[in-house]
Amino acid sequence: MTETTRQGTEPTGAGTGEFHTRVALHTPVAGQLASEIERRLLFVSSQITGYELDTADGEVRGVTLRSATPLPADELTEKVNRVVDGDVRKQRTTPPKSVWTSSHDRVVEEGTFERLAQAGAVTEAGEGQVAVGEPLLSLLAYFDRAVKRILGEDFNPTEYRYPTLISTEALATAGYFASFPQHLMFVTRLHNDIDVYQGFQRSYGETGIDSTVLDACHNVDYCLPPTMCYHTFHQYRGRTLDADGVHVVTAKGKSFRFEAAYATTMERLWDFTIREIVFMGPREDVLASRELFMRKIFAFVEELGLSGFCEVGNDPFFGGDDTSARIWSQRLMELKYELRLTVAPGRTIAVGSFNFHDDLFGRGFGIDYGTEGTARSACVGFGLERLVYAFLCQYGLDSADWPAPVREGTRAVGGLV
Amino acid sequence: MQNDVRTRVREFLAPQLNGRTLADSDDIFALGYVNSLFAMQLALFVEQEFSLQLTPDDMEFDNFRTVDGLVRLVTSKTATAA
Repeated sequence: MTETTRQGTEPTGAGTGEFHTRVALHTPVAGQLASEIERRLLFVSSQITGYELDTADGEVRGVTLRSATPLPADELTEKVNRVVDGDVRKQRTTPPKSVWTSSHDRVVEEGTFERLAQAGAVTEAGEGQVAVGEPLLSLLAYFDRAVKRILGEDFNPTEYRYPTLISTEALATAGYFASFPQHLMFVTRLHNDIDVYQGFQRSYGETGIDSTVLDACHNVDYCLPPTMCYHTFHQYRGRTLDADGVHVVTAKGKSFRFEAAYATTMERLWDFTIREIVFMGPREDVLASRELFMRKIFAFVEELGLSGFCEVGNDPFFGGDDTSARIWSQRLMELKYELRLTVAPGRTIAVGSFNFHDDLFGRGFGIDYGTEGTARSACVGFGLERLVYAFLCQYGLDSADWPAPVREGTRAVGGLV
Repeated sequence: MQNDVRTRVREFLAPQLNGRTLADSDDIFALGYVNSLFAMQLALFVEQEFSLQLTPDDMEFDNFRTVDGLVRLVTSKTATAA
């Protein structure tokens, strides 16, 4: 059934400064794909500040977009439909599939971030950027150490600290540009040329800084890393790994993904910390390693009494020709599991993911395993701020209420709590 | 019926094998004969070749990774539709 496209931009009320623009989908989309539409809408146009889906009879019929200024309705209708048609409509729905559920069902209240801010434990530093103090510093150190301890029970990992910047070439090799252009963060600088420097000094004195400064920044050879595992694959590029079992590499580092429309909370950060573990080796061994470590993490979460679950997930591929096929195959083959913890009544956030890449990065970066050909890989990543935030949502700020292992662990890392 | 389905599934997979042998229980993804995106082609093939409509409940990887799985999927869907 095709619905006639209707659109129009209307102010929502005198003086509110907010406009609502209704965009109809040319053909409804299955309601199960609603979240796939929602996660893309803020990337359709920077003018969109919010949205509500228009659903009926289990289908998404359209979208109401919020904005601070009137939107060009025809243009937005075309853009929304283009994204839905390209990235969402062709996705085949798969039933939600949980692989683990905590036996704990903790009562979690709203307002944790506000309480942390009132206590001086967090300060919003910018969009999606939060300065953290105690008790978060101790908890960040504790959870990171706990993850490494659990990893060390079954594996002999090699640890590295990577530079903050990652080469653009490494991200290109990883296929990042085709998959996630919406998250990309280039790092540039004034091009090294005396004319450029002096031109900048003159224009800065006259007009200050605006986007025209980018004309003097020709260099795009480095980016901010969206995750740590690309550093690892770049480091191991062109190598043949000894055929002596799974190679395990771990690193912790700042990671950056532009997400658009950040709320004042720690649930979605632009600048955050990942503890990542990469497994490389033969296919079955890599898969078994992911499974073993994942089950150990579930036991740890269970031991701490945290509420949550782990389910099959998919990455937010965006705008590519094969986005739908990639998402569906990722879910069908269970290439990604997401560990989600409760942060508010009825709301969870992903605090970790367990990903199998098969030969994707081994092939891309030319990493072999002995005489067996391309190495297979998996990675496990924890968003440490999210992990700590979910813990605080469930247990509160008073360390006297925390589980004994966390109290003892935070003391052991030299924390002030 | 099953043999006909098996023959047509094998004909569809043949270009991916490059002359390599494939047992009915072999995992074509694990063997590296196809990449993950081939799953979508398999789903389209099943729907078009056998005039079937796959539903979310059919989206189990075991239905797509082997010749046996594909034959089982098609024959069970055909039996349900009959």
